[in-house]
Amino acid sequence: MGIADAIIAALLVGGACYILYATLWKKKGCCGCEGGSCCKK
Amino acid sequence: MSTQLKYKDEESDGEISGRSAEARVITVAVAGNPNSGKSTLINAIAGTRLHVGNWAGVTVEKKEALFDFGGRKIRLVDLPGTYSLSPYSQEEIVARDYLVHERPDLIINVVDATNLERNLYLTVQIMELGIPVVMALNIYDEAQEKGYRIDGKAMEEMLGIAVVPTSATRKTGLDQLLDTALRVADAPKQRVPKKLNYGEDIEVACDYLAKSFRTSYPALTDSYPQRWLLLKLMEQDSHVMRELDLDDLDFLDQALHHLRKAHGEDIESIMADARYSLASGLTREVLHKPELRPTEITEKIDKIVLNRFLGIPIFMAAMWLLFKLTFDLSAPFGAWLGSMTDGPFKRWASALLTPLGAPDWTVSLVNDGVIAGVGSVIVFVPVIFAMMFFITFLEGSGYMARAAFVMDRTMHAIGLHGKSFIPMLLGFGCNVPGIYATRTLENPKDKVLTALLVPLMSCGARLPVYVVFVSAFFPNNSSTVIWSLYVMGILLAVLMGLIFKKTLFRGEAPMFIMELPPYRMPSLHSLCVHTWEKGKHFLYKAGTYIFAVSILVWFLLNLPWGVEHKRDSYLGQAGAVVAPVFQPMGFGTWEAASSLISGVIAKEIVVGTMGEIYAPKKEEQAEVPTLQEDLKEIGVSFGAACSKAVKTLLYLPVPEEKEKDRSALKQALLGVFTPLSSYAFMVFVLLYMPCVVAIAAMRQEFGTWKWAVVGLGYQTALAWCAALIVYQGGRVLGLGG
Repeated sequence: MGIADAIIAALLVGGACYILYATLWKKKGCCGCEGGSCCKK
Repeated sequence: MSTQLKYKDEESDGEISGRSAEARVITVAVAGNPNSGKSTLINAIAGTRLHVGNWAGVTVEKKEALFDFGGRKIRLVDLPGTYSLSPYSQEEIVARDYLVHERPDLIINVVDATNLERNLYLTVQIMELGIPVVMALNIYDEAQEKGYRIDGKAMEEMLGIAVVPTSATRKTGLDQLLDTALRVADAPKQRVPKKLNYGEDIEVACDYLAKSFRTSYPALTDSYPQRWLLLKLMEQDSHVMRELDLDDLDFLDQALHHLRKAHGEDIESIMADARYSLASGLTREVLHKPELRPTEITEKIDKIVLNRFLGIPIFMAAMWLLFKLTFDLSAPFGAWLGSMTDGPFKRWASALLTPLGAPDWTVSLVNDGVIAGVGSVIVFVPVIFAMMFFITFLEGSGYMARAAFVMDRTMHAIGLHGKSFIPMLLGFGCNVPGIYATRTLENPKDKVLTALLVPLMSCGARLPVYVVFVSAFFPNNSSTVIWSLYVMGILLAVLMGLIFKKTLFRGEAPMFIMELPPYRMPSLHSLCVHTWEKGKHFLYKAGTYIFAVSILVWFLLNLPWGVEHKRDSYLGQAGAVVAPVFQPMGFGTWEAASSLISGVIAKEIVVGTMGEIYAPKKEEQAEVPTLQEDLKEIGVSFGAACSKAVKTLLYLPVPEEKEKDRSALKQALLGVFTPLSSYAFMVFVLLYMPCVVAIAAMRQEFGTWKWAVVGLGYQTALAWCAALIVYQGGRVLGLGG
């Protein structure tokens, strides 16, 4: 695995972690309520 | 408040001049009872212009729309559905605070014409606010079909408000309603509702209080609707008393003492009686029902559906039918999607990435990570949408309210009432809105206990796990096996409720009167809209955190870099550490353990992770189909799926296909699980700790981690015990190993 591969892998893992952070923690997920408003601030 | 002030500046002798009237935005609050067709009416008027948010400071849904009508701008604000404006529930407080403090230009009061008397109780309270009111006499078509004649003119005269018959489902009367609203908003002084007479004693007390207040607290009568304020003070409304922070008022005590003495009962009952008498009297004056009314269809059906012996078996049968229809309709489409994700999608991804010079591992990440992981979940979208469709149908038809009613007796046994079953029913779609729905319960103890039991209701996210296992191990009894899991969830909720009642939540269940709306055939449009609302978050999840977890799981399955066997990867090692815990339940493999760990984020991810773990090794294919052949195959197999679904639904013979199962996951599971261990696994997935979003919802709803941790702990322990009993019990009974 070269340095370029390592950078791409790190970016992908970072991106995936950010999506998890943004959807699960920051936005508290999508609640599935009508209109999805329960979790909107 | 600002809207109202501006509005007052512009007006002169009750009429607003043409130019300023056209320029301003008219704020219209829409208020009404639950089940009065308010949401349907707002959707019919505002459609896609509806903006959904929350009321400030609380988590009650707020819908708003800004649109043009007749060259004027109207802001429609949907208030929560309430039966009264008393401060008993959050919805009532929100609706009341908005009307009192924001003072909209106009209130559209949506009234169910088939249930006039009960709806008029709210109307009477709304009229106390002194804001112009237009009544939308909704569900008017049904009232006419029942032979009801409502004298709208007489009602207008008696109440001093405009009355417009509407049918939100048939979209009739809506333009007339908005026309009337504009007319009333332009001449507010001429359209102030009449002051209803609450009886001599109350009116005398009101006059006395008004005089005393004008002298002692002149500012108060300017900032609140005067009559409303006086009536609230007479009722000793706790919310208003707290808000005003008034010291002991001798003149108020004096008036109340006199009233109590004259009537011999508490003041709240006197006021409620006065309002009910008005609602009842008005109904008698304006509503003419046919003398000899034949037994209505609703009553006929209810005689059977609500029968004390038949009620619960009918509910169970309805659930079984729901699953049967769901799977018959959706299975062919699921198989079609599965064939796409296993074949063409992976081929196309490779064909796109390889010429771009992408490293081999990224191609594997896309195929064995993203497509295998997300694809394993996407395959179940037809099942989820089909189930949401049938659940929506049961809700819209009025049956779900009956289900809560028949469960009332059982719920009382666990210290709750039938109203608590409504959040649980919502939990069948997704546990999170079920947990949020507990806020409609008045008693804090009921809220917590119900929220703790909601995650035992099998949500849609668990469905993919069941479907993949039943299609592998119980292909001939799929709906019955899945139905048994749902029933197990309900029975365990009752059992846990009993245990909690004896330990954490002692006390009697409060009494509650449950409303049973008449049976209705929901419109296809409304079914589709609500199905989409319920099901869309599964697509959202697939595109966000299931996608993200698929990428992370792929890395965890391939690290340390160059690992030969997935068992030696980080995920494999973590799974191997936890696996012995599951050994007594028959699925003590690292694969099962790893899937259950990742499934904590969302239950569908159990299947996604398994899809990645059991992704077949890439084989060289002798002949790779061209793009054109792939597209043709997709089209042909979709047609075949449609035909199979229709034939199955119509009970037409479906030609037996040779087992051409392309699902590598299913094949792999057949080699690892037995029917008994697969059932134990499904039981564990049904019961083990709620997903992170449900845990966060509990934290948010109760403002403490305490109940989230209690829920997490008891559910995981319960899951372990139940799966153990199922597996070991099954072995003792000779059902395999």
